[in-house]
Amino acid sequence: MKKSHAWPGAGVTAVALSSLLVACGGGEDGPQAVEIQFAAVAAEQPIACNSTVRLGRDNVEATLKDLRFYISNAALLRADGSEVPITLAGNDNWNLTVGQDRVTLIDLENATGACPSATGTAATQAVLKGRVPAGSYTGVRMTLGVPFALNHSLWSDPASAKPPLDIQAMSWSWQGGRKFAKIEVTQPAGASPAWSAPTFNFHLGSTGCQGNPVTGTQVSHCNAPNRMDFTLPAFDPATQQVGVDLRALLAAADITVNAGGALGCMSGGTDPECQLLFDAIGVDWKADGSGTGLPVNGGAGQVLFRAISK
Amino acid sequence: MTSAPGCLPPGSGWTGRLRWLTVASLLAGLTACGGGGRSELEAVPQAADRWSWVLPSGFSIPKEPETNPMSAAKVELGRHLFYDRRLSGNGSQSCASCHLQHKAFTDGLALAQGSTGQFHRRGAQPLANVAYNATLTWANPSLVTLEKQMEVPLFGDDPVEMGVNDSNQAQVLARIAGDPAYPDRFALAFPGQSDSVSWAHVIQSIAAFQRSLISGNSRYDQYTRGQAQLSASEERGLRLFFGNKAECFHCHGSFNFNDQVVHASSRFVETPFHNTGLYNLGDRGDFPALNQGLFEFTAQATDRGLFRAQTLRNIEVTAPYMHDGSLATLEEVVDFYAAGGRQISSGPLAGDGRKHPNKSDQIAPIDLDAQEKADLVAFLKTLTDHEFLVNPKFADPFSPP
Repeated sequence: MKKSHAWPGAGVTAVALSSLLVACGGGEDGPQAVEIQFAAVAAEQPIACNSTVRLGRDNVEATLKDLRFYISNAALLRADGSEVPITLAGNDNWNLTVGQDRVTLIDLENATGACPSATGTAATQAVLKGRVPAGSYTGVRMTLGVPFALNHSLWSDPASAKPPLDIQAMSWSWQGGRKFAKIEVTQPAGASPAWSAPTFNFHLGSTGCQGNPVTGTQVSHCNAPNRMDFTLPAFDPATQQVGVDLRALLAAADITVNAGGALGCMSGGTDPECQLLFDAIGVDWKADGSGTGLPVNGGAGQVLFRAISK
Repeated sequence: MTSAPGCLPPGSGWTGRLRWLTVASLLAGLTACGGGGRSELEAVPQAADRWSWVLPSGFSIPKEPETNPMSAAKVELGRHLFYDRRLSGNGSQSCASCHLQHKAFTDGLALAQGSTGQFHRRGAQPLANVAYNATLTWANPSLVTLEKQMEVPLFGDDPVEMGVNDSNQAQVLARIAGDPAYPDRFALAFPGQSDSVSWAHVIQSIAAFQRSLISGNSRYDQYTRGQAQLSASEERGLRLFFGNKAECFHCHGSFNFNDQVVHASSRFVETPFHNTGLYNLGDRGDFPALNQGLFEFTAQATDRGLFRAQTLRNIEVTAPYMHDGSLATLEEVVDFYAAGGRQISSGPLAGDGRKHPNKSDQIAPIDLDAQEKADLVAFLKTLTDHEFLVNPKFADPFSPP
């Protein structure tokens, strides 16, 4: 299994670039802007709604159908490993800050090609923008997911269904929350042989959620939170971006069939395809339903996100 | 055989008199005391018309969300929206397409079918007294309010029901806002709110309408109030139902003939789910794929095949039965429970449900003769509230009779 996903020469580059970051900042203590770019790739190859790439255990041709996910509580890392939260610029269609909770929707589909116009959006968002105190930073840490306090919003309560938590396609109504990630690949037009299940989905969200009928609290607890933490210890936003590597995510999965449960893996507690995918995102999942839904070793084993050159 | 009632329904009042409960004053008190935490919403003016619950004897005051108190204007708006096909993405279906009043708001199908033709994996829910449901749908511990539940049929994509999605939601709302009959109704239901034709208000008003669907005037209810007689067969069925032999009351013993009930004064609510031995695929404990009930939420093997006990009110008109409509008639249902589950001897669903490891302790073979089975069915048919099935307050406002 692929354990390391740092790019060649990462250590050296990070040191050099962190001084560059300082130079870009304002005053000594004033805030400096941070822009973290995301890019969909299959290994080194960029992918978009219109492109066909080779994916899955058998390296078959596949087309992107959807690629959206929520990033929360992003932070830059200092050389000593300490975290400095990235303050989001402000609430808009892609960003929401409530108290300490900060969430951004990253949307790498544009509702064209194999990405359905009905459920997709033409608008895209490939960047997380914010500010940090001026300083020297070496890496990033973030969570794929929506913080619990914001996750179980109520569409009928405008106070809670604020953008970007109002995208219908990202609703996870059966568990009273949001899909943290909606990643779907499909067979290319005219694929031969045709896939036995035409689309392979990876929908990540909390499961085992329970509401409280007495208080009317939508969800008070979820057995498996399924939020994915990841750290890119050597990352420079000026020259690098966060690669969302679907080849790595799907490397062990036969994406042309559905082995059971939902098509692909929709975070079902016993869906046979979920083991491979949860391994790839570094979240504890077990076939007997006893997985905790918590990051394993801080998400150190995840292969979905890695630093790549801009 | 002994048929002494082992447990009578709460408030059944064998010799009771008619006692309709009007609770407007109580309700006003309740909402005023609303308990902080939502101060920004307390300022929102509500419709001037206070809602008065008119409840049958034995019915508690339904719980209203603090953020969505009842009003007559809201209920009336919700009734229109409930019956309005324009509320689906392609304009072909309304809520009422799968929830028909004369079938106690079910649709007579084993599996419901959405606006794009996709079949649901389960049948449409009855809506009578749905205000009292502690959890919604067949087995979902995370859906505890009608407002949240409604996001599923409106916006769900697996399966598609109403088919409202990101690309058409503005258009669907514009259809509603563009009908000259609606803006005034919204303004009345949500006074003082500038953006009154919104999804939030669509959902809130339909939820209010659903809460108003109170059914408690069946012949059984009239009997408990001393206003009607039951036949000898029906009375024998009643005693079987509430007695120690058939023991139906364990899961269907509340005033609403189920066992998950929440109301305005509830301090603690149990939300049990049950495996009744309907399936046991390959004797491995499986239910059909993607239809495994509570298990789909908890992933615990012991939750395989557990579903919520459905209300039996109006059960006569809500065939076919069980979550997947796999039992066609009440006679089949009684046979099923008498057998302590279902054995399927061939085909892909083969297996002995009677031996399902998760089967409820309450489900065991019951030695019922043909007359007793007929008596139980006769009793179940006394739970039909014929007035509810034609009550103009709940009827389609677009096609008056």
